Amino acid sequence: MSLRLRLTLRLLLIATVALTLFGCDEENQTETNSTGFAGLGQDADGFRHAEPNQPLSFPQEHAAHPDYRIEWWYITANLEDTAGEPVGLQWTLFRQALMPPSKRPAPTPWAADQLWMAHMAISQGEQHQVAERFGRSHSQAPLNTPQDSQAGVMISPFYAWLDDWQLKANEEADSSDFNHLTLTAYSGEGASRFGYRLELTAEGPLVLHGEQGFSQKAANGQGSMYYSQPFWQINGEVTINGKTKPVSGRGWLDREWSSQLLDARQSGWDWFSIHLDDGHKLMAFQLRGGSAQNADYRSGTWITPQGDATPLATNDITLTPLATSAVAGRNVPTQWRLEIPSVGIDINIEAPHANRWMTTSVPYWEGEVVVNDRASGEPLGEGYLEMTGY
Amino acid sequence: MTRVLSTLLSHYRRHPGQLIMLLLGLWVASALWSGIQAINATARDSYARADALFDTQLDQLERRDGMPFSRAEYHALRQAGLPVSPMLKGEVVTQDGTRLTLIGIDPLTLSNDNALAQANTSASLSDFLTPPWQTRVAPDALEALGITRENASAATPTLADGKTLPPLVLAPALPPDTLIMDIAAAARLLESGDQLTRIVAAPGALTEAPPGLTLTRATTLASPGQLTESFHLNLTALGLLAWVVGLFIVQAALGLALEQRLGMLRTLRVLGVSGRSLVLALSLELLLLGLIGALAGIASGVWLARLLLPDVAATLGSLYGAGIGQELNLPWHYWVGGLAVSLGGLLLAGSGVLWRAARLNMLKLGQMQAWRSGYRRQLSLMSIGGAFAMGVALALYVWLRFQSPGDGLVTGFTLVAALLLASALWLPPFLALLLKALTHLARRRPLIHWALADMQLQLPRLSLAMMALLIALATNLGVGSMVGGFRLTFLDWLDQRLVAPLYLNAPAEQYADIDAWLADRPEVFERLLTRRSDATLQAATTPEGSRSIGTPIELYGITPGESLTPHWPLLATQQDRSSAWAAFSDGAIFINEQLATAENLSPGDRLTLNAPGANETLTIAAIYPDYGNPSGQVLMASPQLAARFDAPPSSMGLVLSDEADVDTLRATLLERFDLGSDALSDQREIKRIATEIFERTFTITRALNALTLAVAALALLASLLTQARSRRQQLAPLWALGVPRAQLAQLNLAQLSGAALATGLLAIPLGIAITWGLVAIINVAAFGWRLPLYLFPGEMAVTLATAVGVALLAAALPTLRFWRASPRALLAEEANQ
Repeated sequence: MSLRLRLTLRLLLIATVALTLFGCDEENQTETNSTGFAGLGQDADGFRHAEPNQPLSFPQEHAAHPDYRIEWWYITANLEDTAGEPVGLQWTLFRQALMPPSKRPAPTPWAADQLWMAHMAISQGEQHQVAERFGRSHSQAPLNTPQDSQAGVMISPFYAWLDDWQLKANEEADSSDFNHLTLTAYSGEGASRFGYRLELTAEGPLVLHGEQGFSQKAANGQGSMYYSQPFWQINGEVTINGKTKPVSGRGWLDREWSSQLLDARQSGWDWFSIHLDDGHKLMAFQLRGGSAQNADYRSGTWITPQGDATPLATNDITLTPLATSAVAGRNVPTQWRLEIPSVGIDINIEAPHANRWMTTSVPYWEGEVVVNDRASGEPLGEGYLEMTGY
Repeated sequence: MTRVLSTLLSHYRRHPGQLIMLLLGLWVASALWSGIQAINATARDSYARADALFDTQLDQLERRDGMPFSRAEYHALRQAGLPVSPMLKGEVVTQDGTRLTLIGIDPLTLSNDNALAQANTSASLSDFLTPPWQTRVAPDALEALGITRENASAATPTLADGKTLPPLVLAPALPPDTLIMDIAAAARLLESGDQLTRIVAAPGALTEAPPGLTLTRATTLASPGQLTESFHLNLTALGLLAWVVGLFIVQAALGLALEQRLGMLRTLRVLGVSGRSLVLALSLELLLLGLIGALAGIASGVWLARLLLPDVAATLGSLYGAGIGQELNLPWHYWVGGLAVSLGGLLLAGSGVLWRAARLNMLKLGQMQAWRSGYRRQLSLMSIGGAFAMGVALALYVWLRFQSPGDGLVTGFTLVAALLLASALWLPPFLALLLKALTHLARRRPLIHWALADMQLQLPRLSLAMMALLIALATNLGVGSMVGGFRLTFLDWLDQRLVAPLYLNAPAEQYADIDAWLADRPEVFERLLTRRSDATLQAATTPEGSRSIGTPIELYGITPGESLTPHWPLLATQQDRSSAWAAFSDGAIFINEQLATAENLSPGDRLTLNAPGANETLTIAAIYPDYGNPSGQVLMASPQLAARFDAPPSSMGLVLSDEADVDTLRATLLERFDLGSDALSDQREIKRIATEIFERTFTITRALNALTLAVAALALLASLLTQARSRRQQLAPLWALGVPRAQLAQLNLAQLSGAALATGLLAIPLGIAITWGLVAIINVAAFGWRLPLYLFPGEMAVTLATAVGVALLAAALPTLRFWRASPRALLAEEANQ
């Protein structure tokens, strides 16, 4: 009893405080909370803010932006094993600044101003395996080799890691290449071991969302810097229950940083990344609540096979939940209708398996979806869906 | 309805003493429950503290060259996928010169269930990780820091070197004299730069040591481990038994109070009150009394807990995550359990009365206690019920004999409960038989004959109280022996494991040099080198023949010298102790009880042990108890273990002469061999602190046990006093017949104390049976090893004396009244008959 209590307490502590980004204060997850889902709407005094007209330059932007409060490197992939069975996976590296730049301690050994959290998940059929890691770093400490820090991101060559969970440039690729990456993460031992080792090859350019990379998240102008690489071709192997098998498929990488992502009144989001079979890509999200009439805020990007991006605004997008599933004691919408008339989209998006609950210190839903034409029911593609604040 | 209720309650206005007794019974029974909860809480706190003290919960990596790790090496290990965590350990000196241990941890990578990480307070992780950081400290270290308990929170004491500690946060579960803080803050205070004292991992998280490193398993150091779990299990048993005793007491107290009102109930029925409203009114009364008693009991239980133990409030706080002081937020089962004791007892006691009240025969006005004619039938029902319960107990015991250790915990508990029930049910028939036999024997002595016959008449009223007394006494004895025995076992175990005052923990390859150097030091009497290795138990040769086994076991090497052998307990030997030790020095082995039980081995059997590069067949010379060790162990003399299995040294105990200068020896040794500051540990200090921590738990366990006895005594007193009034009526005729008052008074006292003595004598074997059930059945079922059975005759005598004393006290009051009554009153009584 006591151990359980203490464990729970500890998890809660980590969740609420260490990562305000996804702090899981149950009480705060209501529509009318004061800081939005997981504190993402917190006041951001002392931090740099995401604004329009901040030109992004690469490869520097692949590195961490410690003057902003939160940041992530986020990969989802829709793969298939050799038997044609779908496999979904997620790998995320989150960074959270513990305090604004002016209040940071001197970079003495072990002193930390950045907290890192990494999530990984593999799903196949009813199986959904999840792991989580934590780490610390100091933004002003020298970072010349990975051994200088438990977690961090370096850019030439690219290397993002927390412990042995790593996303890094292929060894044979040249130092500024971001088109050939290797993703490795494993957890557990023996028969419960799971993880993956994948080669990622970009078959298209980086895509900047919103206004040259500034993605507005609320009517009052709050937002984040946001770009993606939606054109990954992936080959490699995954391990589930200690058994390893080859896989291949498509992946999507999101890079986002901000100091105040949500309006204080917004309660959570529904975020879609979709690979259409005709080569188009689509990103769409809605932030629930927040505007003057407590209406949802929607945004998205329509991406041609060549990588040309068209931003989509609230009025361009209609998102309708069609059915919910009971997952982890909550009702989560797992069937949606998405209409974007301006680009001729009217699709049904459905999660074939509802049990994609991330049982991490901050729980959320994240899993594979399939896309069908609304009128004909014909399959059009696949993708990933993330839902928070339920 | 209100009128019926107020009429019923008016009984208590006429007999306020009865109300007080009843409420007292209810109150104490539920206070007992609360107290047990507090004990359990404190005990758990003690385990955590002791565990943290023994530093056992983490496996540890060291470099083979003995150099400290750097941060870069730690990061490289993490990036190789090893679940390791960094730790900084050092000493700080307070302004009054006390040395405190400072431990820097990384809560992000330290395993969740580690005691250091667990000693979490309600503080947030972010406060722990970021400037000004936090110092977690147990309250007993405050004095050394020069801070009072009231000012402790967020204080920043200054150390002898002028540095200040991060703001304090109290964490009662931490070991004494230890400061825990984030590794960044610790690195600043210790000026350790990029160096690390140790790299740790959750026990078993690493399968093998990475190249160039040695892996020291958590169990290498002495650990109470399962010993504490066993104590905790026994405390749980104590909690359950105390709850049963509470139920009995409440039932005894209430049953009598309600019985006295049967006449009033009948009158009410005759006056036209319907059976239903009578039952309703009685139920309301029961509920009211139960709630008052239970709530008072629960509230005072917390008070009691604080009284018994100053830190218990803080313990409850850390366990239940409640801010005690501002608000007591105990878990639901605490309240429900407390209420269940009171209301359950009331229901048991009340249901009989309610049932009778509902079916009351209005015409039987004159035969108020007519139901007692059926007492003989009741006695035979009790005998049958008792026999049935005993049969169940026996069947369970036989069944348990065929179970492997680790199974049948619930069965063990059921067995003890069945035993208690059987004894309680058999008590009244036994007393009735005893009285009948004695009456027969005393037929030529009329007065004694009368007294015995009179006792037989009183028996129906007394039996419930006596049953409660029996269970309370037996439980009290059982738990007393269990706790006392546990305490002795724990102290023995400490003596066995920490026989030398100083223990040296050095890199394996340095031991030979250190040993040679120490051999020349005159103040070092004995060097007790231990070695450890793992092996496979390949086969066993017993008188029945050979069989192959193939289980992994531990090999442990000790140095059998004059300081160690007298303290090392043996359970079974081939001949005697001294020949066993002689054989041991010559290469025979000892095995622990766990291995002997699991593989059914005895001294004289031969074992074939297999380790890399070695295959040896050795004779078992003795079996020794190994409390708290979950695995099988083979003990060998250190030189034999080195020669046969090439086992590396793991530690060395140093037995010193009385005038040895420990500080100088330590300093010279550390400097000469370039050892870390924690390479030498003073086990006397660890032993003293461990003993102190556990003594606290033992003390309050004993205090609460005494309270159980007090409650039983109170219940007996209450039930006897309720019938005191009628005694005069029965004694008056004898006085009228010319028996002197003094003789009558003596008779009266002898009657009750005799019954109590008989009950008390019965309670002794029952108490021993309960103890045996706890240490030899429940403990074996739970852990696979038995605790030794200790009996404490002094405690038994006290228990018996208490029983008789209470009976005498209860008889004294009516006797005194009888003594003081005027002849006229006695005559009037006689006339009334």
